[in-house]
Amino acid sequence: MSAYAEPARPGHPGRPYPRWRALLRFEVALSVLTGGGLTLGWALTGAHGDFWPAWVWFALAVPVWFQGSVMWGLRPPRRYRFLALHTSVSFATAVMLLAIWMLDGLHSSWPVWPILGLAVPLALHYWLARGRSSAREQQLAQRVDVLTRTRRGALDTQAAELQRIERDLHDGAQARLVSVAMSLGLAESLLASKPAELPGLLTEARSTALAALDDLRTLMRGIQPPVLADRGLEGAIRALALDVAVPVLMSGNLPGRPPVPVESAVYFTVAECLANVVKHSGATSAWIDLRYGAGLLSVTVGDNGRGGARPGAGTGLTGVERRLESFDGILALTSPAGGPTVVTMEVPCELSSPKT
Amino acid sequence: MRVVIAEDLALLRDGLARLLRAHDFEVVAEVGDPAELARALVEQQPVDVVIMDVRMPPTFTNEGLVAAIEARARQPGLPVLVLSQYVEQLYARELMQDGTEGVGYLLKDRVSDVLTFVDAVRRVAAGGTVLDPQVVQALLSQHDRRGTAGPLGRLSAREREVMGLMAEGRSNAAIAASMFITGKAVDKHINSIFMKLDLPLDADDNRRVLAVLRYLQDSTSAGHPGRR
Repeated sequence: MSAYAEPARPGHPGRPYPRWRALLRFEVALSVLTGGGLTLGWALTGAHGDFWPAWVWFALAVPVWFQGSVMWGLRPPRRYRFLALHTSVSFATAVMLLAIWMLDGLHSSWPVWPILGLAVPLALHYWLARGRSSAREQQLAQRVDVLTRTRRGALDTQAAELQRIERDLHDGAQARLVSVAMSLGLAESLLASKPAELPGLLTEARSTALAALDDLRTLMRGIQPPVLADRGLEGAIRALALDVAVPVLMSGNLPGRPPVPVESAVYFTVAECLANVVKHSGATSAWIDLRYGAGLLSVTVGDNGRGGARPGAGTGLTGVERRLESFDGILALTSPAGGPTVVTMEVPCELSSPKT
Repeated sequence: MRVVIAEDLALLRDGLARLLRAHDFEVVAEVGDPAELARALVEQQPVDVVIMDVRMPPTFTNEGLVAAIEARARQPGLPVLVLSQYVEQLYARELMQDGTEGVGYLLKDRVSDVLTFVDAVRRVAAGGTVLDPQVVQALLSQHDRRGTAGPLGRLSAREREVMGLMAEGRSNAAIAASMFITGKAVDKHINSIFMKLDLPLDADDNRRVLAVLRYLQDSTSAGHPGRR
């Protein structure tokens, strides 16, 4: 193992295995010296007859050739190393066979068979390796696609959400406060001239101020429901269930609290589902099941209504689905005509410390 | 005085109408979008002043502003008072790029100071110019930050304060009261401002707002982005 140093970075096209390289250089020098000496001896003894040093050169070249091939085969990154080694050794063997064939006087065409014997498994190896790597690459490409889409979805949802909040504030609480100020200003200006109008104006100002407060509360519930912060997902969903016009049966429980963004996404998805139950399903009862297992938070909302719900058809589910997607969550809707409708959402997440 | 109100939020539209009627204005049309406004401006002539919201349907961005600019293009000199729940220098510049006579731009909050507001409506209707104190303040403090180049840089701190109040449309007496100085002192400051800004001495209140607007328009033509 210590015969060579592992390259610092796999696949780095530098000069790995420095000790092997030194050994190879030494071997090359030794071989050239030995072969050269023998060739010189053959020449000095008259250089007649068969050029027998060719076989010596061949014998000296084989180990150098193979070592070089193996080193070349070890260069590529780990993922392709086995294949490269196979390629280089097969190639080196074929070249060696061809050399023997040539030295032997090119009799017949016997090397075709062993070379074919080497080529077939190599081709098979290439085919297998390509299949495997492309499956892996496809997997990664799909993941990148999903991440790109869900990230864009999350940003779109966030921007739309901010715009909605701004609009709600502008048309709601802010406008009402302007109106309150207007009524009070008018009352002030009429103080001396038409005091009889004051009580009406003041009552109106007060009720508009209360309406502004109401607007703010509704808006806050839409951003981060206080009950979600106080009681966690389970409590908040119970609170939601109580507010719905149809009776809702709750089952299951959570052994801890999911991360805040997941809680919020799931909460709003459940809220959307319940809103759909009331608005579209005509159901007389609904149920919610909440559980956690094997790193997966799953919530199911069902009703006994008329069914026939489709994700795109104004159910508002598309938005919450996109929100779930950014946590790698999924939402499944089954709603045959005639009912019942069941929405299942699953989000992979960790739960923080159990409730105390 | 015949008034047209264009405001998409019924709550504020009704409030405005009632407030103006209580102060002897004749509200001849209450409309909720730019198309209705255009129609009202044709049907209800003569219109003395239009009071409108910046944000209107269909996109609820600055249709009101665009409508105001268009209305003034169709009927040059039509007095328009633009109200908004927030003010931007940029909008003030766009509104006033084709002339400053009979133009007003106020935060909706100002409506609650009913007498001042009613006075502002009257001044705009009479061809005057009214700018919201917030715009004026932003303008002056921006100028302070950017250094003392230009005519406004020649003003003393006291004179800038007087000019800010002038630009809001306050009378000499009101300026004197809010700065706790005598009317005579205010006169002195104002004359000094006019001299420094190379403006002719004039009894017209509107002249004074022009001092600020001259700077506004200079910045517009020089292409400075509105910054606050």
